[in-house]
Amino acid sequence: MRKLLDFIVRKRHWFLFVALEIACLVLIYQNSTYQRSVLISTTNVITGHIASLSGNVSGFFNMRTINRELAEKNGELELKLLQLQSRIEEIQARGVSFDGLATDSARIFPYRFIMAQVKNNSVTQLSNYITINKGEKDGIVPQMGVVSEGGVVGIVSLVSDHFSVVLPVLNPKFRLSCKVLGSNYAGSLVWDGRNARYAQLKELPRHVEFQKGDTVVTSGYSAIFPTGIIIGTVADYRREHDDNFYSLEIELSTNFQALDYVRVLINEEQAEQRMLEKEVKKDGK
Amino acid sequence: MVNDFVRNLIYFVLFVLIQVLFLNHIYFLRLATPFLYLYFLLKLPNGMARSRMLFLAFFTGLTIDAFTNTPGMHAAACTLVGFIREPLIQFLTGKDLPEGVYPSFRSFGYGGFFRYSLTLVAIHHLVLFGIESLSLFDPLFLILRIVGSVGMTTLLVFAVEAFNVESQRSGEKP
Repeated sequence: MRKLLDFIVRKRHWFLFVALEIACLVLIYQNSTYQRSVLISTTNVITGHIASLSGNVSGFFNMRTINRELAEKNGELELKLLQLQSRIEEIQARGVSFDGLATDSARIFPYRFIMAQVKNNSVTQLSNYITINKGEKDGIVPQMGVVSEGGVVGIVSLVSDHFSVVLPVLNPKFRLSCKVLGSNYAGSLVWDGRNARYAQLKELPRHVEFQKGDTVVTSGYSAIFPTGIIIGTVADYRREHDDNFYSLEIELSTNFQALDYVRVLINEEQAEQRMLEKEVKKDGK
Repeated sequence: MVNDFVRNLIYFVLFVLIQVLFLNHIYFLRLATPFLYLYFLLKLPNGMARSRMLFLAFFTGLTIDAFTNTPGMHAAACTLVGFIREPLIQFLTGKDLPEGVYPSFRSFGYGGFFRYSLTLVAIHHLVLFGIESLSLFDPLFLILRIVGSVGMTTLLVFAVEAFNVESQRSGEKP
């Protein structure tokens, strides 16, 4: 017995080593699910503020690019607005309108957005994350979509009082259903960890017609993003192993290296849709 | 003792900050990221109590994890480094090194310090990228990433060591 105790005391660092490594593995395992600890992440008050130091500096240097991008986007939107206005006028002129016609005013567009600033951002790791400076106090909860002026950025995965961590497209855990503009077949967008400019659209049925340069947009099935938010353009494509699907190389329209201001999308009807889907799954079993 | 504590604290804060504010954003040729914060673990005094060493390494890794949102990854790699540091020093330099000496060019010699840092950096990166590849396995890319990052980290460790005033002045500190 005494020898055993002696042995344990003498070799205590071995036991400590094993215990610490097990603790690490538990943390790694927990990290692979959606529920994660807020403590060991950039949503933590201390780490969040320190990490935002470099975000602030790079944000300052990126100002010029961001300004230009915003101006371009603004011009684009103005043009679109004009087009839509003329379309509406045209339709109103053609259509029969009478006093009894009441549009469904109870049904409004369910999405609105909150502006947030990127405080910490990486494109260098395999599992990249983005920290933004809005949190629970601003009404953000996990599973909200995040977009920039370029297009889709990611999905909120972790929220503390004043910060949230976004799971961007540039992370192997990210999955998003999307489609080539003009067709209605959805594939799933993933990232292969190699190049921050490109992501892959997998499992797109082979009979979908598209060309290089076509725009890829969100499908809107998941209630995280509305339909039609730009993800990127088709840069290349090839057949998958089983020959029934295409795998597309998508050039992302969001510039992840110079991300500063993003918008967090709030879908008022997301909870309702989720609940409904959950109920159906439960009944099915 | 107190001196040692203050010195270690300064090293810790300095190199963790350099890591999270600058080096984490480096992505050389879309392959290599240097992890210079290992320099803190490399430069801990020789003959430190092994449990304390382990806790320090674990905590260092956890701190980096908190900044990169990867709970456990850096911590696992660092704990292993903390565990094999002492046996490695004994193996590389023989047993005649006095306690409390900081590993440096002076105390280990250029070749000795190179072997020492390269081994630890390589082990750390193997574990780190190994765990990382659990979420997405891509063998060729993985090897390139490990080789590139090990090269960059070792190079940086050497550059910092060459300009480190402390190790030039008190390499033989008892």
